[in-house]
Amino acid sequence: MIEKTVTIVNKAGMHTRPASILVKIASKYKSDFYIIKNGFQINGKSIIGVMSLAAEQGSEVTLKFEGPDESKACAEIVKFFEEGFGEI
Amino acid sequence: MKDVKKVIKDFKQVEKESITVEFFFNAAKERFKLTKLTEGDKGLDGIIRDKHIHRPGLALAGYTELFTFDRVQILGNTEVRYLRQLSPELRTRALKKFFSFRMPCICITFNNKPTEEFMSMANKKGVPVFITPLETTRFAYFINDFLDDQLSPQIAIHGSFVDVYGVGILFYGRSGIGKSEIALDLVERGHRLVADDVVMISRKGDGILMGTGTELVKHFMEIRGLGIIDVKSVFGIRAIRFQKRAELLVNLEEWDPKKEYTRTGLDSETIDILGVEIPFIRLPIFPGKNITVISEIIALNYLCKHYGYDAAKILSEKLEQAIRRKAKDKDGKLEFERAVEYLEHDFE
Repeated sequence: MIEKTVTIVNKAGMHTRPASILVKIASKYKSDFYIIKNGFQINGKSIIGVMSLAAEQGSEVTLKFEGPDESKACAEIVKFFEEGFGEI
Repeated sequence: MKDVKKVIKDFKQVEKESITVEFFFNAAKERFKLTKLTEGDKGLDGIIRDKHIHRPGLALAGYTELFTFDRVQILGNTEVRYLRQLSPELRTRALKKFFSFRMPCICITFNNKPTEEFMSMANKKGVPVFITPLETTRFAYFINDFLDDQLSPQIAIHGSFVDVYGVGILFYGRSGIGKSEIALDLVERGHRLVADDVVMISRKGDGILMGTGTELVKHFMEIRGLGIIDVKSVFGIRAIRFQKRAELLVNLEEWDPKKEYTRTGLDSETIDILGVEIPFIRLPIFPGKNITVISEIIALNYLCKHYGYDAAKILSEKLEQAIRRKAKDKDGKLEFERAVEYLEHDFE
C-alpha cells in the first residue's frame, strides 16, 4: 500500500473536468485507489465520489493505492495532481 | 476496427433521382383529392425531379426567363382568374407560350375548371392536368412534403429501432451482440418496436430523421436459438408502431478495459446520419449490466435535457460553486468539515 499527501494547486480546484480525467486514469489500473479528505475516504474511481469532495485550491488530500500496479498508478496520479490537472 | 461513425457515414445512400408523374398521381390522388382531367395515359410517363413546386403566374404573364417548368406546376385562384380576364387573343397567346414548355404536370386548386382551350392544348402537348378541391397553399404544402419525402436520401441500417417513452432509439452494434433481445425486452416493458434488423432511415426536411421497417419485414424479428417471431401477433398492437423520428443512436460495444467511456456525460458525442447530427452514445456491455433499464434511462435523461435539465451540467455547476465558496473563507472556522451539516433526528 502506498499513501501520499498532495495539495490541490490549480485555481479552480478539483472541478468536473479534472475529476472525470482522474477517474479515467484511475480506472486504467487494477489497484484500488482512494482519496482521503477531512478524514473521509472515497473511492477514487467513482466520479460522483471525487466530485463530492469539492476540493478547493490549497486543500490537502491523501491518495491511497493498493494493488499489483500501485506504484505505477501512484506515479501517474500524483503527477496529475502536481501539474494542477494541466490547468497551470 | 473502423469507427462506427465512419462506417455509418460510408453507408450507401439510396436516393431516388426522380419519380414518374403516374407514381405521383397514384400516390396523391386519394391523399390530396386529385382528379385527372386530361385524356388517356398521355404524359403520365413524365418525370418529376425537383421536390419544389412552382406557381407559374409570371410565365403566364409572358415572362419566361428562369421559368422552372420542370417542376410540378400549381395554378391557384390568381393564375386562373388572370387567364380568365385576358382577351381571347391574349389568352391564346399566353397559353401557347406556356404550353411550349415541357412541364411534367399541372395541378389546379380550388376546383377551378380550366377552359376548353387550356385542356385541348394540354391534351395535344401531353401534359397531364389534375384538379383538386384543396386550397392552393395547403395543397402546395402537402405536395412539397410528399415530394421532399420521395426524393430524400435513405439508408438501411442494420440495427433495432424502438420507441422508448416516445424517444426513438436506434440500437446499433455487431451482429449477435443482442440488439434484438434488447428490443424484445423493451417491448416486454411496454415500449414499442418500430423495426428490427433492417431499419430504413430517411431524412425529412433538413433536420429530422425518420425510421421505419421495410414493407415486407415490418415487425418480424429473429431471436437467436428460437427463430422468427412476429412481435405484432405475440404482443399485440400496443407493442408496435410503423414509423418514428430517430433521435438517438446507441452503439452497443463489448466492454473494452483499454477504451475510455464518458464518465460525466458532459463530453457528449454526435453522429452524422444523412447529414443530420443526432446524439451518439457508446454503451459498453458486460454480464450483469441491464441494458434495457439503461436504455430507459437514456430516453428519460434525453427528455430531461430536452426540457432544459442537464443533470451533468447542474452537478458540475454546484461543484464549482462549492469549491469557490470554500476557497473564499479560506481561514474557515471549521477545522473538520462534514459533508452534511446537521443530521436532525429522523426527520424528512
